[in-house]
Amino acid sequence: MKASTLQTQCRYFELIPFFVCLMILGSITLSFDAQALPAFARQTGQNCVSCHAGGQFPELTPYGRIFKMTGYTIGERTLPFSAMGVINAASVADRSKSDLPADDFQKNGNPVFSSASLFIAGKVTDNIGLFSQITYDHYAGQHADGSFYGHSSADNIDLRYADRFVNERSDLIVGVSVNNNPSVSDPWNTAAAWMQYVPAASLTSHQFTDANTPYPGNSTGGNIAGISGYAYWNALVYAELGTYQTAKGLFRPMSAGMPAAETTKLKGRNNPYWRLALTHEWGPHNVMVGVSGNYAHIYDDPADTTNPNSVHRVKTTGVDGQYQFLLDPHTVTAQIAYTRQRTNYSANEIAANAGVGSPFGFFAADGITSLPDANSADTTNTFRTKLSYVYQAKYGGSAAYFNLSGTTNTANQSSGYDNTATIIVDPGTSRVNSNFSGNPAMRGMTYELFYTPIQYVRLGGQYTAYSKFNGASSNYDGLGRNAKDNNTLFLYVWAAY
Amino acid sequence: MKPNHMLLAMTLTLTIMAAACTSIERSRDLANPNVSAQTLAEQICSNCHGIGGRSISPNFPALAAQQPDYFIKEVKEFRNHSRSDPAGFEYMWGLSRSLTDEQIAGLAAYYSRQPAASQKTSEASGLTAAGQEVFEKGVASKNIPACSVCHGAQAQGQGGVPRLAGQHADYLAKQLTVFQRTDARPEGSIMKTIAHDLTEQNIESVTVFLQGLSAK
Repeated sequence: MKASTLQTQCRYFELIPFFVCLMILGSITLSFDAQALPAFARQTGQNCVSCHAGGQFPELTPYGRIFKMTGYTIGERTLPFSAMGVINAASVADRSKSDLPADDFQKNGNPVFSSASLFIAGKVTDNIGLFSQITYDHYAGQHADGSFYGHSSADNIDLRYADRFVNERSDLIVGVSVNNNPSVSDPWNTAAAWMQYVPAASLTSHQFTDANTPYPGNSTGGNIAGISGYAYWNALVYAELGTYQTAKGLFRPMSAGMPAAETTKLKGRNNPYWRLALTHEWGPHNVMVGVSGNYAHIYDDPADTTNPNSVHRVKTTGVDGQYQFLLDPHTVTAQIAYTRQRTNYSANEIAANAGVGSPFGFFAADGITSLPDANSADTTNTFRTKLSYVYQAKYGGSAAYFNLSGTTNTANQSSGYDNTATIIVDPGTSRVNSNFSGNPAMRGMTYELFYTPIQYVRLGGQYTAYSKFNGASSNYDGLGRNAKDNNTLFLYVWAAY
Repeated sequence: MKPNHMLLAMTLTLTIMAAACTSIERSRDLANPNVSAQTLAEQICSNCHGIGGRSISPNFPALAAQQPDYFIKEVKEFRNHSRSDPAGFEYMWGLSRSLTDEQIAGLAAYYSRQPAASQKTSEASGLTAAGQEVFEKGVASKNIPACSVCHGAQAQGQGGVPRLAGQHADYLAKQLTVFQRTDARPEGSIMKTIAHDLTEQNIESVTVFLQGLSAK
């Protein structure tokens, strides 16, 4: 065995105490019955597995999708509150190739309470229902002295009006969703807002977990405000069309908890989102293939929305598909999603970059030759696929592949040669996150094993392995750090009530 | 009035109007005794049991043409938590908790009127023939009586004895195993005795035969 491999494995041994605690917790929770149920389960009286495939969150079963599309209105009104919390620990393969290991890996190997969510969710009337999530991030940011502080803000919000016209001959579900994230209204798990591992580590607490890997997504992210209309016809065709604006005025709660100067600012209300999907169910199988898109006009600086020349445009188009096999006690899911994103930078940004070479002041290897100006437009392609299996809604595992590729841009380059031909890192970026090539490429695998002893507790472990990071497999920072040095083991306890 | 207040007022007005538009004919409220059985069947039960009770997924039994007495008995067993097989308590305990006797009787009548499910079976004819043998003649060497004695010559059921024809083989096999190995279905205790000595091959063949029966 190579010494470096042995050293890497020894790094992960620091998680053994946390792992032992996970096992003890697992054996304790075995003695409980599944009596307590989160808000939607209380509303329908059903177990989580009815709506979530194999008990995996947030992935929905065909019934769960209908529950969502009919506006969360199935069942009877009950206490509409639930809570969720995550404790986790993570360990990165190599912490030596860092300028400031104490800063870059502050919580490495230490169990932390990373985040918690409060859900206000449930049936309001026979046609109106709500799913809303407020999330507390215990490691939201750092003070000047390096200590962390926590913060709460609006997470996913989806308020719906829905109706269903169904009889022996036809089935039509129609609805309207007011929400804060393009695709959060989508019922399939390959949608940008939902194709994710849950739980995820707080990004500031742990580096390089799956939460740091690329996912197909829309450019705007969450915390904006939009309205969309949708229809699902004969369990065959799903179509949705909506548009988004800045979360302001009446819609300010969509970005509650975030400083107004930091929320995404969209120009006007012409920021459409669209979705079309075909579905089919036969026996224990169901499949979906779909396309989606989003076109957003985003102000460069959220604090300055006065200059129309400081607006960049991002066009996102995606193709996705999902297959599920659901036959107790087996749950198999295969997911695939591809997103192409084209960003046209604002006139002001293009003008500011013209003729200045590298925006960070880097040079070519000779320390003399200027680098190209920053691009006026960029394209990224994000591909992700995931295969998971769950037995008895208790024991599960998955493997996911991610691959982000895109155009090289000196604006991405955060480490490079200075005018003495010495490689330096931009002061605003840590070395372990720097980019020497200017290319955004990221590629790798995430593996997960989990155990759900009772439906509202899950213990799990993820391993994320990188074969490419920030544009390169080796020496991505220009100072000798390789993609595989970022491989990370992540253990967690997730609970909801 | 400030623009924001105007928007708020408009939203509240629209919400009240939307609430007023609610039709009990399309309600998904499980706690409202005034919601008709047909509405419950179409808006809620169909999500798992299919339109008209012809379920697509074998996880959920077909209900079309089911015997009403059997249907009523089972739903009440779910409601009072007497039937505790996993599929029962995971899915049905909660859904049935607030149903009235009238709604349950209405659902039973609704499903008994529906055309029976017709399931394809792709199993080898040898398996089907073996299943037919078990269904029509039982297993004499183990004193297992023919299923047809109680369930009818065409497995159509009678009274409190369920229809089996056209039912998903996977569902039937799992329920036979529940009878055989557990006490989770006390209302069907007679089946515990009958299923006791069935082999896995017996169960597989007879359930495959029954799944394809209505297609004949």
